[in-house]
Amino acid sequence: MPLRVRLTLWYGTALALILIIFSTILYLVTARSLRDAVDESLEETAAAAVRSLEERGFLPLIDEDELMSQFPELARIDKFFQIFSPSGTITIRSPNVKQQEMPLSRQALEVAYSGRSLLEFAKYPKEPALRLISVPIIYRGNLLYIIQVGTSMDSVEETLNRLLLVLLVSMPIALAVSLAGGWFMAGRALRPVDTITLAAQRIAGGDLTQRLTVPASADEIGRLTNTFNAMIDRLETSFRQIRQFSSDASHELRTPLTVMKGETELALRRPRETDDYKVVLESNLEEIDRMTRIVDELLFLSRADMGEVKMERLPVPLDTLIEDLHRQASLLGQERNIQVVLRATTPAVVLGDELRLRELFLNLLDNAVKYSRPSGAVDIALMIDQTHARVSVTDHGIGIAQEDQTRIFDRFYRTDEARAHTKKGTGLGLAICAWIAESHRGRIEVQSKVGEGSTFTVMLPLAPAPAAAKRPPISSSPSSHRER
Amino acid sequence: MRILVIEDETKVGCFIRRALEEESYAVDLCEDGAKGLEMALHTNYDLLIVDLMLPSLSGLDILKGVRQAKIQTPILILTAQSQVDQRVKGLDAGADDYLTKPFAIDELLARIRALLRRGSTESPGVLQIDDLALNPATREVTRGSQRIDLTLKEYALLEYLMRHTGRVLTRPMISEHVWNQDFDTFTNVIDVYVNYLRNKIDRGHSKKLIHTIRGSGYMLKVD
Ligand SMILES: Nc1ncnc2c1ncn2[C@@H]1O[C@H](COP(=O)(O)OP(=O)(O)O)[C@@H](O)[C@H]1O
Ligand SMILES: [Mg+2]
Repeated sequence: MPLRVRLTLWYGTALALILIIFSTILYLVTARSLRDAVDESLEETAAAAVRSLEERGFLPLIDEDELMSQFPELARIDKFFQIFSPSGTITIRSPNVKQQEMPLSRQALEVAYSGRSLLEFAKYPKEPALRLISVPIIYRGNLLYIIQVGTSMDSVEETLNRLLLVLLVSMPIALAVSLAGGWFMAGRALRPVDTITLAAQRIAGGDLTQRLTVPASADEIGRLTNTFNAMIDRLETSFRQIRQFSSDASHELRTPLTVMKGETELALRRPRETDDYKVVLESNLEEIDRMTRIVDELLFLSRADMGEVKMERLPVPLDTLIEDLHRQASLLGQERNIQVVLRATTPAVVLGDELRLRELFLNLLDNAVKYSRPSGAVDIALMIDQTHARVSVTDHGIGIAQEDQTRIFDRFYRTDEARAHTKKGTGLGLAICAWIAESHRGRIEVQSKVGEGSTFTVMLPLAPAPAAAKRPPISSSPSSHRER
Repeated sequence: MRILVIEDETKVGCFIRRALEEESYAVDLCEDGAKGLEMALHTNYDLLIVDLMLPSLSGLDILKGVRQAKIQTPILILTAQSQVDQRVKGLDAGADDYLTKPFAIDELLARIRALLRRGSTESPGVLQIDDLALNPATREVTRGSQRIDLTLKEYALLEYLMRHTGRVLTRPMISEHVWNQDFDTFTNVIDVYVNYLRNKIDRGHSKKLIHTIRGSGYMLKVD
């Protein structure tokens, strides 16, 4: 059932209940107070009659005419009265009593003998109900007469009936009107929800550029809209990233394929010298290596994205690691006649995965050597402050423009200068470095000037003191370290 | 036929160039977008092959630049992206055809032939003048019933002459369309090659087809 219908029904049911309870109470209270008023006036009239009789010394009254002349006030009242003898027979009655006999009830007679008054209803066919009060007149211990004053309940009942009619007619009208109002209000309140639904459908259809217009009010709907828009923002960004990523990945993988296919086909088009074939095979091998590297790195990153990469958290002595990497990087540098110098080192232990940290620093060193000019120099330094170890790798190579310095950590991003400088490179290395640094609760900072060189600084939180105290011996080969 | 290849992947550019040269096209190779556009604007190429992802200036921008300069040279785009929208954008920006990497060399060559054919309004496929016929697809040249073997350059020169039958072709025009940018205009290489061609085509035939227009250049026509 739609929310709008449900809201309206809930509202209507609650309102109907309230109206019914209210009307019932109103009716009962009104009926009660009208009857009380009748009873009161009957009692007053009876009391007045008794007073009049007392003033006249309880004369036996013979007939009505005499009675009326004796008690002129009786003619003016809207009530009738009867006077009964102690035996219960009618002695006298006022002229406005209809022709019918209205004998004194047994109960009234009994009560009269006990000296008390009685209020009762009397019902005759085809007549409105009557309300009667019977008052005994006792003189010196003897019951002289019983005075009965009565009145018709006609007007009371008529009033009550009219009230009932008004209530019965007006209640459904009020209910209908407020149901319509409730339907309208619910519709109004729910309209933004409909808008959100429509927009969500369009977005689900693939159009992530859609946004909801935020209502001016800061109510629930406003908050929902804002939350929704923020969610779509994030979705759009990550969709764009994924699309960019897969298009980049496809480009990077297609390039080596294009080279291999093109060169091989070209070689096969006509008979050639053996050396020509050798050149093609060597080139293809290069491309295969390149593809293997891209696929490995992509696999690592996608496993990292899915949280499937296991990270050790063991104490790693950075100084030993850096010294070892320094030797490795020196070999790397030799090919291009680049000096790799270890400028500063200090004992430092961090908690982490030695293999990954090795990969991180090796990537930075590889970049530094790769983007240096021939016979340039690369400096490594390890320093600590209270909380962090700082490993910096400095080169004097091509440098990175300010606007590229954040983007180089993006997957596949390579600056135009880097592309022009060397074809070797996948653009994935720094993305992996950043991920490794982050999963060690560290970060990488870049300082660079185009044409002058770059410094990459890795900051890693130092291991807490006890871990640093029991430094395990570390071997230069990572695999033997692993096996412990 | 002279072709400009703008492709930043050195290896890809190199094998395209070799493949084209083996088909007797004159090829210039450029690895940079902005420089490529400049070359396209200043030299009268017969065809441009443009990669879409380039440093400094994208392939799309090159396309737009070339078309803005009212140059109608056919353009073939190479793209590593299989996405439809990239190709659509390229075609809308004025490209005549596209190829997705990796591609087959035979297909590249066939598309180039088709694009070059599109330029001339007359008979597609085989070029013919009198009893001399040249088939660009098979690179077969015949005079009458006799097959003629030509070197790459001779073939390129003859194809150029045959595509412009009946028009005077100056030496600069010939060098621009038959040789690439490494060609030194001050040598008499063109005259030497025209002579080679004459020997192979006109010798022994009473009807001469290659004519020297004194003071300006050469012309291929039936007397
Ligand atoms: N030491 C450096 N000097 C200059 N540019 C660098 C340096 N390190 C990284 N870069 C830039 O960052 C980009 C991304 O680096 P990376 O992810 O390691 O990819 P790759 O080294 O495979 O190109 C490089 O292509 C280059 O543009
Ligand atoms: Mg790298």
